[in-house]
Amino acid sequence: MAKEHSYTINFGPQHPAAHGVLRLLITLEGETVQSIDPHIGLLHRGTEKLMEHKTYLQSGGYFDRFCYVSMMANEHAYVMALEKMLAIKVPERAEYIRVLFAEITRLMNHLIWLGAYGLDLGAMSVFLYCFRDRDDLLAMYEAASGARMHANYFRVGGVWRDLPHTMPKYQSSSWKSKKKLADLNADRQGSLLDFIESFIERFPGRIDDYETLLTDNRIWKQRTQGVGVVSKERAMSLGFTGHMLRSTGVAWDLRKTQPYSVYDKLTFDVPVGVNGDCYDRYIIRIAEMRESVKIMKQCVDWLREHPGPILADAPKVVPPSRDHMKDNMEAMIHHFKLHTEGFSLPRGEVYSAVEHPKGEFGVYIVSDGANMPYRIKVRAAGFPHLAAISELCKGHLLADVVTILSSLDIVLGEVDR
Amino acid sequence: MNIADELRELGQGIVSESLGQVSLQISAEEVLSVAKSLKTNPAIKMNMLLDLCGVDYLYYGVESWQTEGACHQSYCRARAEPLSENSVWTGARFQVVCHLLSITHNQRMRLKVDLDDSVSMPSLSGVWPSSVWYEREAFDLFGIQFKQHPDLRRILTDYGFVGFPMRKDFPLVGRVEMRYDSQSAQCVYDPVSIEYQSHVPRMIRNDHRYVDVGEESGERA
Amino acid sequence: MAKGLDVNDIIVPKGYTVTSLDDLVSWARGSSMWPVSFGLACCAVEMMHAAASKHDIDRFGWGLYRGSPRQSDVIIVAGTLCNKMAGAFRQTYDSMPQPTWVISMGSCANGGGYYHYSYSVVRGCDRIIPVDVYVPGCPPTAQALVYGIMQLMMKVKYAKQWERDRL
Repeated sequence: MAKEHSYTINFGPQHPAAHGVLRLLITLEGETVQSIDPHIGLLHRGTEKLMEHKTYLQSGGYFDRFCYVSMMANEHAYVMALEKMLAIKVPERAEYIRVLFAEITRLMNHLIWLGAYGLDLGAMSVFLYCFRDRDDLLAMYEAASGARMHANYFRVGGVWRDLPHTMPKYQSSSWKSKKKLADLNADRQGSLLDFIESFIERFPGRIDDYETLLTDNRIWKQRTQGVGVVSKERAMSLGFTGHMLRSTGVAWDLRKTQPYSVYDKLTFDVPVGVNGDCYDRYIIRIAEMRESVKIMKQCVDWLREHPGPILADAPKVVPPSRDHMKDNMEAMIHHFKLHTEGFSLPRGEVYSAVEHPKGEFGVYIVSDGANMPYRIKVRAAGFPHLAAISELCKGHLLADVVTILSSLDIVLGEVDR
Repeated sequence: MNIADELRELGQGIVSESLGQVSLQISAEEVLSVAKSLKTNPAIKMNMLLDLCGVDYLYYGVESWQTEGACHQSYCRARAEPLSENSVWTGARFQVVCHLLSITHNQRMRLKVDLDDSVSMPSLSGVWPSSVWYEREAFDLFGIQFKQHPDLRRILTDYGFVGFPMRKDFPLVGRVEMRYDSQSAQCVYDPVSIEYQSHVPRMIRNDHRYVDVGEESGERA
Repeated sequence: MAKGLDVNDIIVPKGYTVTSLDDLVSWARGSSMWPVSFGLACCAVEMMHAAASKHDIDRFGWGLYRGSPRQSDVIIVAGTLCNKMAGAFRQTYDSMPQPTWVISMGSCANGGGYYHYSYSVVRGCDRIIPVDVYVPGCPPTAQALVYGIMQLMMKVKYAKQWERDRL
């Protein structure tokens, strides 16, 4: 009898389920996956090298572009690293704003993940529903920072500006009836916090909608349960963090275990899985969205009652306000220095990590005392997850590769950097 | 007992602590034995390797402007090519930095490995399997050889890339650039046609307004 | 046709003649463009937003993102094009049936943008393929992309004039 030979197929880089530009060389025997050789680097933009040539303020924008579906979570790790080096104390209001937006970011990430996950497994409506809600989150970003996606909102010492008291509204046009316009602007009448609060009220119902579509769906369960199983010990030795580790039953969430910012003052739970398969990862993320909404609610309530400064009082690092800059010589000098030369970090090194929606996002900075980092390394959450794809997919069918790849939730921007 | 004391008890390498973060600096020869004991020692038990990266200390502490003195108009300041002679770094040029995490003890630490001139070290993939891709990345970007690595190939840069881009003597704009050649109907590499332009020079300010956090990394110039 | 000009005077040198059927074809073509789903980086998220519920470019006949370049008319270059990707990108473009239209979305695709000086980035996707419409922004908002799409629709619909000007 003739021996069966395995054969290799090429997946990507232009593939609708590749989540960006990922190339997989899949070795198959029949339809069973033997091994996968991922080729990454198709989005390697040399960001770490570029940052060595830019001041700390100029580099801030690169962090939005690492994991471009959870922008402010990346910035959070970066500003925390710098603040640790500079020994700056951030005002409490700024910390709450950061946490609020970190959780908005978590929702953004989970929504795009859920939409794409559903789309990859053939559920088109979930994609459309998720993006409907995600657009509201983008509106919050835009109201606070001015940009829909790449906000660059977290700055050293706080946030760029305080939350606005008004929301931008839709303008009247000949294409919209008066009633339509009033409907569109209904929850935009008050401040940004009012807008967020109305979102918080309706969003748990929306999560129920997604669950109705997926959680007990037989097709969904058959496609995801028992697929891509990883054990607790193996997950640790492979360097998994975030939902990949929690799906195996390890309650490891940096917001709880190594609290940063004001997470220790907020009440929320950490969902953990049991089986470590794709279905558990889905369930965990749905539960995480509900927890995020809880955290957002607490932040909104706190922020309503506690006005105050949003930037630390550190003139050598934090730029002065426009008004102050224009009638104070000292402030003028600081402003000029900060926006031309930037500030210098002391000599030394620091590593700071946050619980990014995808796992642990870390920033390691080596400074030689200059106004630019000497070496900056970003620990991307998705990198070790993607590295393990061959092991996770082994023995599964070709169609399960897409399921597993989706459940890892990789973004090539941060994997390739 | 905190992690720094445990590491001192281990008796290998130099333990330092800054900003509440513990580092252990060792040489490339002892890395395997240290890594194994870090993972298995019940008081340390670093069960995860979160990150591994290379660092090139060639131009550490070198500014991009140089002032040699005052001329009759102003200070003679000129953008200077960085020179490794001006570096204040006294240690090995290449270092591999690992960030470890112990879930058992909820502790973090940093493992710094000094590399000698052969720019190589034993692979840690036998101890922490997550290091396989990180080592490929460090090999790709810095040219660090990891001995006994199961699959040491380039990972991030282009197929057929020449050079190690994150080394400090590699130009930021690279040496080649790509364009489509309609004659041969394929994408071809040309020598790079642009130069890096920056209006912000690299400056080192010896002001003392901050706490000096890193005495271990060399003397101030 | 001008008086006294034989139809052969046009057909023989050019090989074709222009009739009002072209208007119909251009209108039909411009109103039902199928983009290839080709997200490179950050801009792909805004491209997805443009396709999703709120902005819904299906209103313009653009909503059907095809997985295969063989079935597509237009490619939206959404994100940073890196050296490693350039070959595959050109191959995707070459697989598309003629006529092919290209939208370059975002500053990275337009000219390298924030990553212009990097050693691994193609400084503008027009070094690899010809571009019809450039959409500026980092990333352009979904609304900006919709505007760019409308510009391209205009271009397709008036393709006859464009072609005539080029001859």
